[in-house]
Amino acid sequence: MAAVGCLKAALQVAEVLETIVSNCVGPEGRQVLCTKPTGEVLLSRDGGRLLEALHLEHPIARMVVACVSSHLKNSGDGAKTFIILLSHLLRGLDAATDKEKDSLVSENIQTHGRHWKNCCQWKFISQALLTFQEQVLDYFMDQCLSRHFLSVFSSSTQEKTLCRSSTELLLEAYFCGRVGRNNHKFISLLMCDYLFKCVAYNSRIEEVFELVDDYFAELNVGVIGLPVSDSRIVAGLVLHRDFSVYCPADGDIRVVIVTETIQPLFSSSGTEFVLNSEAQFQASQFWIMERTKTIMKYLQGQNVKLLLSRVKQPDLVIYYAELNGISVVECLSSAEVSLIQRITGLSPFVLPQTCSQHEVSNTALLKFCKPLILKSKRYVHLGLISTCLFIPHCIVLCGPVQGLVEQHEDALHGAFKMLWQLLKDLDLSYMTGADDQSYTSSPLIYKNSRESELLQEIGNDSIQRSYQGTVVKNKDKLVTVRTHLIVYSNLEIPGVELETYVPCSASKLTPADTHQTDDTLKCLSQNKTSIIDDHEPLIESKFTANSTTENTKIEMSYENVQVTKSVGKGNTLPVSCKSLESYCSSSIPAGCVLPVGGNFEILLHYYLLKYAKKCQQSEETIVSMVIANALLGIPKILYKSKKGNYSFPQIYIRTLHALQTNQPVLSTQTGLESVAGKYQLLNSVLQCLAKILTIDLVINIKRQPRKVYDQDSEDEL
Amino acid sequence: MSRLEAKKPSVCESKPLTRERLRTTLSVLKGIVASCYGPSGRLKQLHNGAGGHVCTTSQSSALLRGLSVTHPVLKILTTSMQNHVSCFSDCGLFMAILCCNLIEYVEGIDLAPTTVIELNKQLLSLCTSYLKSEACACRIPVDFSSTQILLCLVRSILTSKPACMLTGKEVDHISALVLRAFLLTIPEKAEDHIILGKSIIVPLKGQRVIDSTVLPGMLIETSEVQLMRTLPIKKSSALKVALFCVSLSGDFSDTGEGTLAVSYGVSLESAVLDQLLNLGRQLVWDHIDLVICQKVIHPSLKQFLSTHHVIAIDRVGVALMEPLSKMTGTQPIGSLGSISPSSYGSVKDLCSAKFGSKHFFHLIPNEVAVSSLLLCNRNDTAWDELKLTCQTALHVLQLTIKEPFVFLGGGCTETHLAAYVRHKTLNEPGSILKDVGYTQTELHLIAEAFCSALESLAGSLEHDGGEILTDMKYGHFWSVQSHSPPVANWPDLLSRCGCGLHSNQEELSWSFLRSTHHPFVPQNSLPHEAASSANNLTLDCFTAKLSGLQVAVETANLILDLAYVIEDKN
Repeated sequence: MAAVGCLKAALQVAEVLETIVSNCVGPEGRQVLCTKPTGEVLLSRDGGRLLEALHLEHPIARMVVACVSSHLKNSGDGAKTFIILLSHLLRGLDAATDKEKDSLVSENIQTHGRHWKNCCQWKFISQALLTFQEQVLDYFMDQCLSRHFLSVFSSSTQEKTLCRSSTELLLEAYFCGRVGRNNHKFISLLMCDYLFKCVAYNSRIEEVFELVDDYFAELNVGVIGLPVSDSRIVAGLVLHRDFSVYCPADGDIRVVIVTETIQPLFSSSGTEFVLNSEAQFQASQFWIMERTKTIMKYLQGQNVKLLLSRVKQPDLVIYYAELNGISVVECLSSAEVSLIQRITGLSPFVLPQTCSQHEVSNTALLKFCKPLILKSKRYVHLGLISTCLFIPHCIVLCGPVQGLVEQHEDALHGAFKMLWQLLKDLDLSYMTGADDQSYTSSPLIYKNSRESELLQEIGNDSIQRSYQGTVVKNKDKLVTVRTHLIVYSNLEIPGVELETYVPCSASKLTPADTHQTDDTLKCLSQNKTSIIDDHEPLIESKFTANSTTENTKIEMSYENVQVTKSVGKGNTLPVSCKSLESYCSSSIPAGCVLPVGGNFEILLHYYLLKYAKKCQQSEETIVSMVIANALLGIPKILYKSKKGNYSFPQIYIRTLHALQTNQPVLSTQTGLESVAGKYQLLNSVLQCLAKILTIDLVINIKRQPRKVYDQDSEDEL
Repeated sequence: MSRLEAKKPSVCESKPLTRERLRTTLSVLKGIVASCYGPSGRLKQLHNGAGGHVCTTSQSSALLRGLSVTHPVLKILTTSMQNHVSCFSDCGLFMAILCCNLIEYVEGIDLAPTTVIELNKQLLSLCTSYLKSEACACRIPVDFSSTQILLCLVRSILTSKPACMLTGKEVDHISALVLRAFLLTIPEKAEDHIILGKSIIVPLKGQRVIDSTVLPGMLIETSEVQLMRTLPIKKSSALKVALFCVSLSGDFSDTGEGTLAVSYGVSLESAVLDQLLNLGRQLVWDHIDLVICQKVIHPSLKQFLSTHHVIAIDRVGVALMEPLSKMTGTQPIGSLGSISPSSYGSVKDLCSAKFGSKHFFHLIPNEVAVSSLLLCNRNDTAWDELKLTCQTALHVLQLTIKEPFVFLGGGCTETHLAAYVRHKTLNEPGSILKDVGYTQTELHLIAEAFCSALESLAGSLEHDGGEILTDMKYGHFWSVQSHSPPVANWPDLLSRCGCGLHSNQEELSWSFLRSTHHPFVPQNSLPHEAASSANNLTLDCFTAKLSGLQVAVETANLILDLAYVIEDKN
């Protein structure tokens, strides 16, 4: 059986998913109860988990789910928004192509032929989408949206220091979408407390995030049967097991980790122990006993009060440990051991051959070591002294049912991932330069060549589709781009040759710069004159600089950056929000946030509309219009239940008005959200959409009854 | 490789709360739990219809252990109740009924679920802060100088479990025993932090309930033959004890991962036995009087020890090891070789005891921290119920020591709290709506549902069709027998309120609980001295009830928040 894999089918699938997801998104969203085949129940508002739990059968649906999960792997958030955005995009494209189809492909009567024709068209659109994503989107992020960004870092200091109040707002907004309504405030405060308790200095926070992310399961304890409000943070590390032996100790508590049994065994693997007489047996047993005794005595002599063991220790070891006042914790998981090693820098204790009086090197000091009783179950509570930036703390998560505790655990883990992502710079492919000097022009050239290839394709397509008029134009552009390409390859050659070319290609370099600024290729001819006017002095000064200094490749491109930057500045409207520390790079800097409630979407929508009006090529216009309108779908859902002044149309009009009149954009909501996360989400959605559009036919193959190995849906396509 | 099958798609159900299927199952569950509630609750018989064990109970823990629910939403409710019971032992039915009531009463209100949840949460915090405050009129501080309140607490727990089948006299007897068993676990020497001992419940079925008793120390069941062979021992001073956690049977298990080759003619058994006998000699040399082993003692070693007048008790099991080691002051020995003298402990005396047809070693410790509660009841099911009830009572007493308060029972706390919430929401709505942007009307609607849920919970105590009233001064719970002649004067029919604190002698006015009445300021009850001296109060555990209230509201909120149920059909 073959199904037409096209927009309509994908739209149907996406709309079904959308109806489910839109009930759970945002602060008004509600919970979903999932049952596992084992009968356990799980509460979730996590879109990724929800989609997986549905076990979808439809091939396109499965593809969408695969895309969502690969997006989640990268950024850890935004699955629900993904689906909503995708279905809005599909709906928009459907509407746009319907209109176009009526006007364009009317002569073709044969339906099958039309289908193939449509597929060609969608492939074309999908490529336009990718081009848009690579070029236009990044440009907007860097040039237009960036001045609205806020930062989670305190602006007072030079160092990156997390600002407590911003972090609180950020986390509150995150948990709004992830945990139940009655708990999100409590959980976000808990998380914020935890974060600031764990971090030694506010500055080098990334290391802590990595550690917490790696060992999240070990750093929290779930207690079921208690109200959620009993959750708390405890200082130190809580191990998920009880002492085998507990000897109360205070003062100088030293700890060792062992990975094998302390009591020697008769034979190790691969060897054979031959017993020749009863006396020999008794003697060896006696030796084993004495040896165990000596080791434990030796440990006691070294002031060791706690023995952490990977394996179960024999009764004999436990007995001697108790005699020597050493507490024992057995059967630690490898993750727990490595966490302790990461925190304290302690390496496992190697059994000494002879127990002399010299110091054991592999010990660490503890502040305390005591049992912790949670709901009549005993846990080991260790006051580790940290040697890294992470100050050990554990979260005790309480909840009436296991499913809720798991949900909170997942949400907390997700929040850590989100914060970690936020604190990284996110590089954009759009090139305005970077603030460091290690900038080279080679990626620039690569990009340009890729652009021209794409352009070539677009040009070819448009020729095939016989657009009158545009063909010529495209060809023209192709030529200009190629000339730029030559210019840039000239840039690569060392300074001596460069000087020779500078006087002759000065005029050509200018449009290249503007092209870079706008990154559009289209507005070239119109803008040409004005921009040249604007920047003639700059370019002149550049060339003088070039002539005086030995112009190397780096300097050359650095100058280029200067130019483009000033172009950007020329266009910049006055900064409306709180200003950030100055940055000028093609990346979304670490810690960039925007107020929640569809702020990002409305802003991008505004700039895209503005851009679309300027666009001449129909594909470009369609794509940016479709994306701009689809973006509004998210705030529409967020404000669904709000009335009056807080309803979506009101907010939308107010924001647009503020943007047009260069007033600060006021947000009605207090939370913050990560810009990088939103940007990545939009990228993933566009990629997924492009992938869907390139499929023309879904063929369902009958599986061989014996060869059912592969369940992956993507192979069927 | 086994055959892999594609997973079946899940079933996704939207707005589960509006579905008929859930409503009916929820009301069935509520019917079950509500009919079990209280001293006059109806009993449930659980059996599998194939001749299995029959369980007659009205306790939440026993009830839900046997009940299997299939609807995922109900599963949330029941697991939440089970988890609560596993933490606090008590107030499981309270929690479940309240949760069902909250869901049921909210259903009729046409408000967005988020509003309901947020306001429920606000009302809950209003309740918890009131119940924890000094001004709270429905809790009594526990006076540890007298046993009065503790005894009332235990008695209330026993009477609220009708499946124990106890008469009034038996209730008095058992509650005294439970309290004594608990008091014996409190160590005599008070330190900074007290570690409570343990009281062990020893089963003795088929005897009269009156024959139940409490003994200080520990009972270890044994056969009559062994008892006759070893006892009596004559010793004036305390007995020296060695406690082994390692097996003394001469088995030889852990040899490592490699192979062990034994030459022909070498007998490991005799080598090990030699070792055991050496150990025996050492024990005799150290003047040990009593050897207790968690696992098995080799018969030869047993024989050797008994010829040297050392009593050997084996197979005591891991459960008794901790109390044994605590009681005797020994350290469980894990070595067959040299034993440190510091590992030995002592008991004051060892004697034999016979209860019914069972024979026991009775270990009498020097310092009592362990007590044995010998529980008798006529049949198996009633005994099981009684055991569960006694465990609950012991746990509740422990919780009461941690937080020395008790709530008034018999429905009075619920009606009083409802009156308080009504009064607060009407007169000070601003303080409740401080942080949340909801209107007063919304608050009144939800508060009405919340209070009705509490009052209907109190009403579940009445199963015989009687009328339920509340007084307009304290907001306590009063019930009237059904089929009483219609009289104009209510007070003639009312004798005492649910908890027993107030009588009809006071100048009170009453109103029907289910009727609408004016909100009033519930007044503080009698001074605490009078309360603690009053006899026969019905009391509830403070910690368990407070947590039960919180968990009930949280669970109800959780269920109200559900937008979808995705059932995995694999």
